[in-house]
Amino acid sequence: MGRLQHGLWIIPVLLAVLTVGVFAPANMQADGHARVSPQPTPTPTPEYDPNAACVACHSIPGRTLPLPSGEALSLVIDYDAYKQSVHGQKDIPCTGCHTNIIDYPHPDITAYDHRDFQLERYTICRECHPDQYEATLDSMHATALAGGNRDAAICTDCHGSHDISDPHTPRHRISLTCSKCHAAIFAQYKESVHGAALLEESNPDVPTCIDCHGVHSIHDPTTARFRLTSPEMCGKCHSDEERMAKYGISTQVFDTYVAEFHGTTVTLFERESPDQPVNTAVCYDCHGIHNIKFVNDPDATVVKEHLLETCRRCHPDADANFPTAWVSHYIPDPEHNPLVYYINLFYAIVIPLTIGGMLAFNSLDLIHRIVRRRRKGHEPGQEVKDNE
Amino acid sequence: MSERSTSAPKKEYVRFGLSDRIAHFLVMVSFTMLVITGIPQKYVPANWAEVMVLWMGGIERVRIVHRIAALVLIAASIYHVLVAGYNLYVRRAPLSMLPKWKDVTDAFETIQHYLGLREEPPKYDRYNFAEKLEYWAMVWGTLIMAVTGFMLWNPITTTKFLPGEFIPAALAAHGGEALLAFLSILAWHVYNVHLRTFNRSMFTGKLTREEMEEEHWLELERIEKGETPPLIPDPRRRMIYIPLAVAFTLISLFLLYLFVTYEETAIATVPPQPVEVEIYTPATPTPTPKPDLVHIFYERKVEARPVTHDIVAERRDCLFCHGLGRLDPYSPIHAELGLNNASCLDCHAPEKK
Repeated sequence: MGRLQHGLWIIPVLLAVLTVGVFAPANMQADGHARVSPQPTPTPTPEYDPNAACVACHSIPGRTLPLPSGEALSLVIDYDAYKQSVHGQKDIPCTGCHTNIIDYPHPDITAYDHRDFQLERYTICRECHPDQYEATLDSMHATALAGGNRDAAICTDCHGSHDISDPHTPRHRISLTCSKCHAAIFAQYKESVHGAALLEESNPDVPTCIDCHGVHSIHDPTTARFRLTSPEMCGKCHSDEERMAKYGISTQVFDTYVAEFHGTTVTLFERESPDQPVNTAVCYDCHGIHNIKFVNDPDATVVKEHLLETCRRCHPDADANFPTAWVSHYIPDPEHNPLVYYINLFYAIVIPLTIGGMLAFNSLDLIHRIVRRRRKGHEPGQEVKDNE
Repeated sequence: MSERSTSAPKKEYVRFGLSDRIAHFLVMVSFTMLVITGIPQKYVPANWAEVMVLWMGGIERVRIVHRIAALVLIAASIYHVLVAGYNLYVRRAPLSMLPKWKDVTDAFETIQHYLGLREEPPKYDRYNFAEKLEYWAMVWGTLIMAVTGFMLWNPITTTKFLPGEFIPAALAAHGGEALLAFLSILAWHVYNVHLRTFNRSMFTGKLTREEMEEEHWLELERIEKGETPPLIPDPRRRMIYIPLAVAFTLISLFLLYLFVTYEETAIATVPPQPVEVEIYTPATPTPTPKPDLVHIFYERKVEARPVTHDIVAERRDCLFCHGLGRLDPYSPIHAELGLNNASCLDCHAPEKK
């Protein structure tokens, strides 16, 4: 095999580069967001595949490249899978992402190991998806990565690389993606009222991981701020009449929480100093986090049999009567919390009567005084004396 | 009226002693603080209430100020009981604050007078019906607020003796009574002693003759007839009263101390325990290929063909030409072992020239 043959292989590679140069910018600006219009951009040159040159080598099974760590980097891609992927369907050429490869031989690989290679390459996603990429910089994955944790998720860990497809379809795919690294939490979630509904029926109303944790800018859920704002997060769905009606769940839960001691404290703390740690219970302190159950489930943390146990997590001295001090998100009525209802009723009657009576009495006094003063003014004898 | 003001000399009458004025001052300050810090807490989801709480420095400070003010009010109440006990028992003061049937008739007659159905207003004694109403409402209200306040301050202790529902019930009563008290003070106290006439006697201790005539005619009459001898403490009764008062004070202060410190985990709760779940648990760790080809060949002592051409940069990729189906494919023995392009040279050394 002579130099000439090498040269022949290079021609399509150069053509591919040229294609990227001409067509890619238009594609990529339009594709700044991950969800793109369904019509793929017309294939630039239908006669031949600009990736053919790459595929010729990178489809030979078993090809690997040794890395200094001793690991081997697989050089093989499943080109059919790529053609099915969101990028493949839009005919984005290999060099659209592998921008460092412009000819053959390729530049040396500088990565120490396999993960290093991924960490070097994933930043290219930013070129077309700057918003998503920058959002991830605020995430706790990025924080962990910057802190030296190389296992922290990067774009390709969640989305894949050559086989990227719509991450939301089917809906439970979202949580399955997270489960790749968070298996223990996923094990709890899939038993929960939310997780079971998602995984068994792909329920559109329950939260997947990202509905609570966010998508790219996934914040640390252990901060005081996350805790203080969490009731609003739960309240977003749980005060949605339409959504809750399907399951017969009260939409008063948020309002009754805010009107009660715990909720009042948390709401005010969030307003005045959202980063200050506070012990006061938020939704998930009582209901559980990933293991949240339907309130009547025998395993629920808030079911009557477990409620004292749950209260004691913060109030270890609490006794058997203590849990009933909590009005269970009910607005007091004669059936639920009659004592509270009748006390409120009592004051609703007594206050207007008392204050009304006082004001009526005062009005009589005032009118009497005004009338007396007027009369005095009209009596001539009095007038003279007043003037003295 | 004008006839009297011209003829009678400006004479003042003692109405409140120093101890009454001190008690009133403490109640006035603590009640105001309780209203300012308490009413917003009752209405807190409302915007104005949140603004007030934030303006006062946050809910924690508001709660602390509310509790301190509550203690001052309770202390003032204890002080008032001591002073009243001394006046009534040791100085043998008349029970002038007790409600009488005359108060009921006075109230009706006053209304009749206002409506023009009666020529003269009724003549009031040392405390008229409006003042008695306010005093006993204050006593009753303070009792309710102290008891429900204790329940809210010590919910765990309370539920050791009472059903849990008493806590939200106490909160309802505390809020309802607070609103009633606040509005009553505005509608009754403020009108009667600030707007109608500005009555300074709680600060100066004295009333003028005109004020006495209008509001406390019967008392004035008795004073002028010399029917009110000065109250002289009875030494024997004082000997009995003082140890009782000391005991009462000590017990009250001890109860007050318990009120504040008895319970630990209602307000200062233990922090919520962290959830014990591994965060990073990769479900299926991705296997990374290991290049072991070289070792296998080495162990099998297979002699490798040397490389007969120069290994220039373009020719580092051995499989480019020697892969299966290529120019000069490798022997099938490689296939069962998997392939590693770069380890070729470990066995296939360049031919020495």
